[in-house]
Amino acid sequence: MKGFGRAFADELRAVRGDRGALLVLVGAVLIYALFYPLPYLPEVLKEVPAVVVDADHSALSRQLVRMLDTHELIAVRHEVPTLAEAEALVRAGRAGGILAIPLDFERTIRRGGSATVGVYTDAAYFLVYRQALTGFAEAIGTLSAGIEIRRLEATGLSPAQARARRDPVPLLMRPLFNPAEGYASYIVPSVLVLILQQTLLIGIGLLAGTASERREETALASPLAGTLGRAAFYLSLYAIHTLLYFGAVVRLFGFPNYGRPATLAAFALPFLLAVIFLGLAASHLFHRRETAIQALLFTSLPAVFLAGFSWPPEAVPAWLHRVALLLPSTPGMAGFLRLDQMGATLSEVRGEWMTLWVLAIAYFLLAWLVAAHPRTARPGGPESRASEAAPGQ
Amino acid sequence: MSERPGIRATVRREYRRMAAEPIYALLLVILPLVAFGVLWAIFWQGVPRELPVAVLDRDHTALSRQLVRMIDASPTMRVAFTVADETEGERLIREGRAYALVTIPVDFERAIRRGEAAPVICHHNAQLLLPASLIRRDLRGVVGTLSAGAELKRLQGGGTPRGVAMARIEPIRMERHTLFNPELSYLSYLLAALLPTMLQVFILVAAVQALGSELKDGTAADWLATAGGRTWKALTGKLLLTTVHFSLMGLAMVAVLFRELGLPLAGSFGAIIGATLLFVLAVEAVGIALVAWLANLRFATSAAAFLSGPAFAFSGITFPVAAMPLAAQTWSALIPLTHYLRVMVDQAMRGAPLAVSSLPLAALAAFVLLLPVASLGRLRRVATDERFWGRL
Repeated sequence: MKGFGRAFADELRAVRGDRGALLVLVGAVLIYALFYPLPYLPEVLKEVPAVVVDADHSALSRQLVRMLDTHELIAVRHEVPTLAEAEALVRAGRAGGILAIPLDFERTIRRGGSATVGVYTDAAYFLVYRQALTGFAEAIGTLSAGIEIRRLEATGLSPAQARARRDPVPLLMRPLFNPAEGYASYIVPSVLVLILQQTLLIGIGLLAGTASERREETALASPLAGTLGRAAFYLSLYAIHTLLYFGAVVRLFGFPNYGRPATLAAFALPFLLAVIFLGLAASHLFHRRETAIQALLFTSLPAVFLAGFSWPPEAVPAWLHRVALLLPSTPGMAGFLRLDQMGATLSEVRGEWMTLWVLAIAYFLLAWLVAAHPRTARPGGPESRASEAAPGQ
Repeated sequence: MSERPGIRATVRREYRRMAAEPIYALLLVILPLVAFGVLWAIFWQGVPRELPVAVLDRDHTALSRQLVRMIDASPTMRVAFTVADETEGERLIREGRAYALVTIPVDFERAIRRGEAAPVICHHNAQLLLPASLIRRDLRGVVGTLSAGAELKRLQGGGTPRGVAMARIEPIRMERHTLFNPELSYLSYLLAALLPTMLQVFILVAAVQALGSELKDGTAADWLATAGGRTWKALTGKLLLTTVHFSLMGLAMVAVLFRELGLPLAGSFGAIIGATLLFVLAVEAVGIALVAWLANLRFATSAAAFLSGPAFAFSGITFPVAAMPLAAQTWSALIPLTHYLRVMVDQAMRGAPLAVSSLPLAALAAFVLLLPVASLGRLRRVATDERFWGRL
């Protein structure tokens, strides 16, 4: 395997000698990992500003406002006399929700009746809407349940009987994994996997485009040994990156990490191989140094929403989901998320693991084929470099 | 054949370059259409439905079977698995085959008959936020209906004492009103943010390619000469065609969002049109600055990727800007997308007064005015100094 060692060393030299490639294959991997989590670092959106319209001004209405304000998701910021003024505050983006307490609120309840409070929430931003609605519902529900239980106890029931009578079938929510519903924990671990894929594809494509521009000979002495040697170089480099991400970055930000090192490594192997061979196979499509950066940038956002963690795959058209499986990131993000954030075993991600092996083998064969048929040098200067083909997904 | 140098000649020259190099067809037409199409297809179905859940029925009575049927009949959930124990259910969740495990306890029906509480437990995958919140909402509805249902009263013998029945009236009822986006459609909400995110990518990449390739190919002197040596004319002539192209694409995007995808229009349509055109110019201004100051097509493209790739995360659509750390808020303000989406949400959904949108509109205008002014001299220098040409 003389060609293997030479290809490994050549690739190392090419990357070391190219600032652009180093920026992508080393710099971007580090920078993005520290930069991308930034907006989500607070994890949970709390203290959504709320506005109160209290027409009752009674002890009970003030108690409700206090309970709302002490709820961690809500901060009562304004009190205005009319609903119109309250809505204007929401419209101006200064409040996320309104609580409207009617006149005779306390009197109605004292008499054993039922009073209706109005809750108006801003659905222009989904997270604000969800947090505000949860906060309102919990604060109001707590006060209402307390009053109801006191009423039932007054009829002679024991506290336990009163609770059972009030809600015979209580629903207990037991969140598994990410119980606080942290936003960074939800998004960033998967995006890290995508960063590994995109930087690898861009780095390999950038070097191939540069070689093509310089019309360097891309033929390898031995296509098989050469392809394996180049892949071995990228595998070594990205094994370090993967270790860094799953060993250090995930812990640095305090994301859930239940994955066992051996299991993660066993899953990372086919993922990295699939990405590397895809990069090598696609490298013939890039005839310019910058084309890979441009083309891959277009795929990042669709790849995130096709991966299934932010948008359920059941809601994606079946044909599109199947096409998306050709991207190593689709099974890769799903598998890593379940291994590291949900503590799954390797056998519990066997579907994704097998898909990645199939992709790795298929892209390896393609890369080998491409290496065995080096592109023909094209004549002419910049003006006649006209065979820019569409890069593959 | 020598044309009179100026903007018109520069536009002609740019048209010839774009026609000769397929990369422009790719960046201006093919990739944008594919990316728009794929995003549209992803969210085509709107709200996710029939998400698979597992059920562990430890009671096996008429009432427990009724609850299982009710869960299956809910729009969000489909009972895909009936499991024998919790271990099996939790494994299904870890395997990604079920989003939740609903456990109905032993003696469910009997406890209710006796007037005791019989809790239903829902283990769910909170790592996947969206399915988790949809399932929680629907399951609360289903179990709440059952809990309040006539079926239970019948089971409990119907003989509720009058005093208890009176007291059972819910003391405080919550009447829910949704302000703005009342249908809560994910399709219109997410696409209204994602399509502009992609548009920013298209514009920025194309502007950097158009300008940066002059330096890389060493044709910058010819470009300036075609414009009669005036940098502002050279810039205008160079970007005129792509500006028109992306303005039309932006307007088409707005038309699709409002006419095809049912985005509500509560406020000023004029402000949205104006913001769209300013947005195109603002992103091009960022492209001008990147090429002028980095003077390297590859490096400027990398920087464009860094700016526009994670821009959605910083835009405040998923996680509000006000709740971000200061560093993220600052970065967010430096991206045109943030300001554009703010106008979009305020005008389309909230129907905010124009004064609310004047700040983000002014921010977009600031990009358009300040960045080219700050970059023109530098651009002239790198375009005339051969040392800045052909840099990789």
